[in-house]
Amino acid sequence: MMPPSRTPNGGRFNEVDTALEAWSIAMRQLFETGKKAVRSGGFLAEISNEDVQIAEAEYETVFEVDKVRLFHYLPTEKTNSKIPPVVICYGLFGRQTMIDLQEDRSLVRNLLAAGIDVYVVDWGNPTRADQFLNFDDYVDYYLGSCMEHVVAANGGKPVNMFGICEGGTFAVMLAAMRPEMFAGLAIAITPVDFHGDSENFWLGEGFLNSWINNLDENDIDLLVETYGMLPGAMTGAIFAALTPINSMTKYNLGIANLDGDKDAMLNFLRMEKWIADRPDHPAELARQWLNGLYRENKLVKGEFVISGKPVNLKKISCPVLNIYALQDHIIPISCSKALGDFLKPSQYEEIGFPGGHVGVFVSRKAQGVVAGGLIEWLQKDHAKTGTKSTPKRKSSKTNGKK
Amino acid sequence: MDKKQQEGFDALTDLWQQGQEAFLRAQSEIAEQFNRSLKDMGGGHSSRNDPMAAWNDLIKAWTPFWNPASSGGFATTTPDFDFRYGQNGFFELLDPQKWTRYAPEQLRLMLEKIAKGPQFADLVMPQQGAAEAWRETLDYQQAASEMSQVMQNAWVQAYRSFTENYSLEDLQSGNVDEALQGWLKSANEALLETQGSDEFLEAQKQMIRASTEIRARQKDMAESWSEAWQMPTRTEVDDLTLMVYQLRRELREVKRELANLKGNAK
Repeated sequence: MMPPSRTPNGGRFNEVDTALEAWSIAMRQLFETGKKAVRSGGFLAEISNEDVQIAEAEYETVFEVDKVRLFHYLPTEKTNSKIPPVVICYGLFGRQTMIDLQEDRSLVRNLLAAGIDVYVVDWGNPTRADQFLNFDDYVDYYLGSCMEHVVAANGGKPVNMFGICEGGTFAVMLAAMRPEMFAGLAIAITPVDFHGDSENFWLGEGFLNSWINNLDENDIDLLVETYGMLPGAMTGAIFAALTPINSMTKYNLGIANLDGDKDAMLNFLRMEKWIADRPDHPAELARQWLNGLYRENKLVKGEFVISGKPVNLKKISCPVLNIYALQDHIIPISCSKALGDFLKPSQYEEIGFPGGHVGVFVSRKAQGVVAGGLIEWLQKDHAKTGTKSTPKRKSSKTNGKK
Repeated sequence: MDKKQQEGFDALTDLWQQGQEAFLRAQSEIAEQFNRSLKDMGGGHSSRNDPMAAWNDLIKAWTPFWNPASSGGFATTTPDFDFRYGQNGFFELLDPQKWTRYAPEQLRLMLEKIAKGPQFADLVMPQQGAAEAWRETLDYQQAASEMSQVMQNAWVQAYRSFTENYSLEDLQSGNVDEALQGWLKSANEALLETQGSDEFLEAQKQMIRASTEIRARQKDMAESWSEAWQMPTRTEVDDLTLMVYQLRRELREVKRELANLKGNAK
């Protein structure tokens, strides 16, 4: 909005008039922003933490091992028995509550509404007493035990798994180690090749990869040994640093721009609540994640070892759906898409979501593109092949029993 | 000990004694000189017991026309030593954090020499640990300073980019919203470019190393405290945690084997 350079009768403004007009425009804009900030501030003054609720879909805990729990969500529609149940596995960089952030943006509720039986893994809150837990424990033992439970509940037939972010990497590994338990594997925003196409990262993409790669093995070792964990607060600070201006402005300009709008403010506060609840990573798990995967990229090299055996991605035998975000600044697209290189084209599908890392689940658009795409994929014939019994692993009988 | 050995030993003892005497003489001369200087300040008052008064006397003796409480003087040239507030200036001299930055390399060399000196089995040598801790603090200060410089350059670049992309006319329009968005866009680009640069990566690595080393040192200090007060140390608790973890894994394996045996028996 430029101030007019001429008066209504065609004469020129003098410099003082122009300056006064500009000052007037500036003050109007500042005043408008101020009013928005006051309205947002007023909303915040009225609301309490209890008013901001997330993950309210109903479930029951059906299985526990150590701090890990498996939730079974109560159906809201008649369950479609032709579709094998879905086990959702989030990572430890955030909490699984992301998939049920609010009623109208909930992957869990979308799946339930489609008649799909839903289980969700909750990793709990690891403390320093859990510092020696590693991928053997998280993938083979904990996640494997959860899958065994659901397979058993499904009459011994294989089930689907949906892994998200780090949980997607866990899921990929388990699918390669225990393919007999998998009817289908879907993953979202999941790193597989931890180096990716670093030559072609766009500005802001792949910082996490380059920052971690820049450290020596000893730096990581000292870090996790000193803290005994990879603290959630530390990973949170690193994620905030990936988008510096957004992090600097979200509590001032960002809140002001919400203009006190109740829905928008609650959406913002729910997301804040989710971000604030970031578990710590056990030291050994973090060491393997940072050194073995991020730095040494052992998974795609076939050198990552779990329970004494290297993980061979080519052993994944079920249909795979890979969902990635086109503007993902945390997990570069090339890091996710690499999974396709290990699978037959006939078993592999992709959805490229036009949004960012977290937008895959919480944006309004994602409810159609991502949840809709996942449901459609699950309803396809290939994901319904869980008709034959899953051969039990010899040693699985006592897995996961407390 | 034969005679020859005895003579050699005596000579060594004499040499050591002479060295000690020379050292003490030198100390006494310095002490006397210092004492004379203090007397020349018109002493005989509180300066003998009050270090602050001694400090003020010293300043008056050297710079009789300078008022420490006034602005100017040192204050404008050495911002970290704020002599305007005489008492603070004095105590800042005693605070290593205030002055070590002016000679960090020399100090680091000294500290390394102490820290890496030979160890003696029956001598307690707390100075080695202290020197290491001090060096780590210096490393952290330097790393923080370098990171600060890298980020400062990013903001300079952001400002430069903004002034290139937005003309004076744009700013004079009064459209502050547009100007703000433009500034945020410039700043975001500059910060992202910096965060991918080699300079940033190096500074970040040094920051992580230095801060983790300090944290590790704190852990050591906490362990010493725990030991002194008869409490279990972090290391001991970690050792126990590892034992429990390993036992549980073994138990898991045994249960698996049992299940296998039962399965095979059926």
